[in-house]
Amino acid sequence: MNSDALLRLENVVKKFGRFTALHGVDLEIHEGEFFTIVGPSGSGKSTMIRLLVGMDEVSDGAIWLRDKRIDETPAHERPTCMVFQSLALFPHMSVGQNIEFPLKLRRITPGKRKARALELLDLLRLPRDYYFKRISQCSGGEQQRVALARALAFEPEILFFDEPLSALDYRLRKTLEKELKDLHHRTGKTFVYITHSLEEAMVMSDRIAIMKDGRFEQIAVADEIYSQPVSRFVAEFMGEVNLFEVTSTGGLLSGSGLEVDPDVARTDLPEGEKGLLMVRPEYVRFGDGTDGFEYTISGRLLEEYALGSRIQYEVETAGGRIVTVEKLREDRATSESGSDVTLGFDAANTHLIVEN
Amino acid sequence: MPASRSTRIVLLVYGLVVIGLLYLPLVSVGFASVSQARYLSFPIKRYSYKWYAEVLESGTVRDLLFTSLSVALIVMILSVVIAFFGALAFARYEWRYRSIFQKLILLPIFFPQTVLGLALLMWFNALGIIPSWKTAVVAHLVWIAPISTLIVAIRAYSFDPALEEAARDLGANTPTILREITLPLLLPGLVSSGLFALLLSWGNFPLSLFTTGADSTLPEWLYAKMVSGYSPLVPTLGIMSVVTSIVLILTAFAVAWLARSIRDSHAA
Repeated sequence: MNSDALLRLENVVKKFGRFTALHGVDLEIHEGEFFTIVGPSGSGKSTMIRLLVGMDEVSDGAIWLRDKRIDETPAHERPTCMVFQSLALFPHMSVGQNIEFPLKLRRITPGKRKARALELLDLLRLPRDYYFKRISQCSGGEQQRVALARALAFEPEILFFDEPLSALDYRLRKTLEKELKDLHHRTGKTFVYITHSLEEAMVMSDRIAIMKDGRFEQIAVADEIYSQPVSRFVAEFMGEVNLFEVTSTGGLLSGSGLEVDPDVARTDLPEGEKGLLMVRPEYVRFGDGTDGFEYTISGRLLEEYALGSRIQYEVETAGGRIVTVEKLREDRATSESGSDVTLGFDAANTHLIVEN
Repeated sequence: MPASRSTRIVLLVYGLVVIGLLYLPLVSVGFASVSQARYLSFPIKRYSYKWYAEVLESGTVRDLLFTSLSVALIVMILSVVIAFFGALAFARYEWRYRSIFQKLILLPIFFPQTVLGLALLMWFNALGIIPSWKTAVVAHLVWIAPISTLIVAIRAYSFDPALEEAARDLGANTPTILREITLPLLLPGLVSSGLFALLLSWGNFPLSLFTTGADSTLPEWLYAKMVSGYSPLVPTLGIMSVVTSIVLILTAFAVAWLARSIRDSHAA
C-alpha cells in the first residue's frame, strides 16, 4: 500500500448490534498535522477515536499506520496514545509515577525515567517539584498537563485527544487550547483531536473533519470549512450563519426576498436549480439603499445582543426570516429596535451551497 | 443552622446514653470474668484472674480457638478472592446477565441464617458429606462472600473504567493492569471486606450450629455451656473473643494508616 499518509482509514465500518455508528469512513492524516474531528454528540466521533486507539474493533474496513495494518493490533501494542476525556490519571500514583508509567513498562531504569519525567515537566511548564505531588493536589489545568506529559512520555507516533478540555471552565480552556497548539509546534507530533466545540477546533487545527451520523460531511482546513461549507449542517455547525433559499433564474440567484443587482456576476448554477446562498453575519451591513450592495434585503430591527467585542443584531425580513448581522463594537449601528432597516452584502462574501 | 447550646447538650447526653446502653452489657460480662465466685453477684467480693489462667491452660479452649480461627481465616481468604472477581462482575463490567447476577448474589444475605444453615445441612447430607468445620467454611462463605462482594463492589463502582483503558493504551497488558491499577485501587475495599469476613465468621453462631457436625466453634461452645453447665469460663472466653475482634480492627486501622504514611512520605 503506497501512500504518504501517516494514518489511513479505508472504508471503516463500526456496528453495535443493529446500530451502525460508522458507515464506511475514509480518512488520511498526515505526519505532523493537528487534525480535529468535530461533531455533535452521537455523530460517531467517540466511536472513531476508540477504533483509532484500539479500544474497539472495526466491523469492516482497514486502518493503516504508515504501511502497517493495525486494526487488529490491541491497544497496548499500538504506537499511539490518547489523552482521555476524564484524563484517567492514576490516583494512587504521584505525578512522577504517572508520567513514568509507560517508561516503567518498557523497563527503562529508574534514573533515566526520572530524568525524562523532569524534562516533560519542563516542557509542560510545570514546576519540577510537582514530580512528588499527588494527583489530587493538582488543579484541573495542572492535571491536564500531567496527562499530556504522561502521553508524551510514551513517545507515540500519534497523540489522540478525546475532548480533554470539555470539563474545564472557559478561561482555562482558552489558555490550554493555545498551549496545546504551541506544544504541537514544539514537539512536531501528529495530534488527532476530538471535540464537539467548533471554537476549539478553529483555534488549534490544521485541518478539520466535520462528522454527522457516522459519516464525514467535510474535511478541509478551518478557513475553508468556515467560508465554503458543503452543506447546511456544516454551515450551521460552524457558527452563526444566514442561509437564503435561492433559485437560478436568468443567470442570477433570486428568492427569499433578496433584491439582486442585475450587474452581479452570472452564476454557474444551471437554470431552475435550487441552492442555499450563505453569508456570515460579519459580512452583512446596514445600508440606506444607495450603497450599491449586490444583494439587499429590507426588514425590521428586532434585537441587539452584546457579545463582548462584537454586537449581534437580529433583523426580521418581510418573509418572516431572521437575518443575523454582526458588527464590531466600534461600528455599532445607531438604529433603534423596531425601526425599518435595509441590509446588504456582496456576492464575493457569499457562498452557494448546493445540496443533493 | 447552628444548633443552640442546650440542643447540643441534649444531643450529647442522648448519644452517651445510647452508647452506654449498647456497651454496658459487655461490661457486666467483663465483671463476671474477673469475679472469683462461680456465679456473678454484685458487689463482687473478690477479684481474680484465675479464670483467664484456666482458659489459657485449657486444651478444649485451645481446640475451640484453633477451629474458630481456621474457619475464620479460610473464610476470609476465600471471600476476598471471590469478592474481588465478583465485585468486578458486579460493578465494573457490562455483561448480559449482570442484573440477574447482582440480585442472585445478594439473596443469601436476606435468608434467615438458621434456615440457611438447616438447608445447607440437609444438602450436605443429601450429598453424603459428613459435616465438620470444613463444611462450616462452605456455609459461612454462602452468607459472607456476598457481603464481601458488596463491600468491594462499592469501591469498584467509584473506579473510572478509563483508568484501565489508559493503562492499556500506555502499553500495559492484562496482568500488568491487574497488578498496577485494578488491585491497588480496589485494595482498601479488599482489606475492609476481608476484615468483615473474618469478624463475621469468627462471631457466627447459627450457621456453625447447623454445619460444624462434631467440631465446635467458640460461639457454639459458649452457647452450649450456657444451656448446660455454666462456668465462668464462658464470660472469660467471651471477653477474650471480643478483645480479639477489637485487636483485629485496630490492627487493620494501623496497617492502613501505616500504608498511607509510607505512601505519603514516598510522595512528599
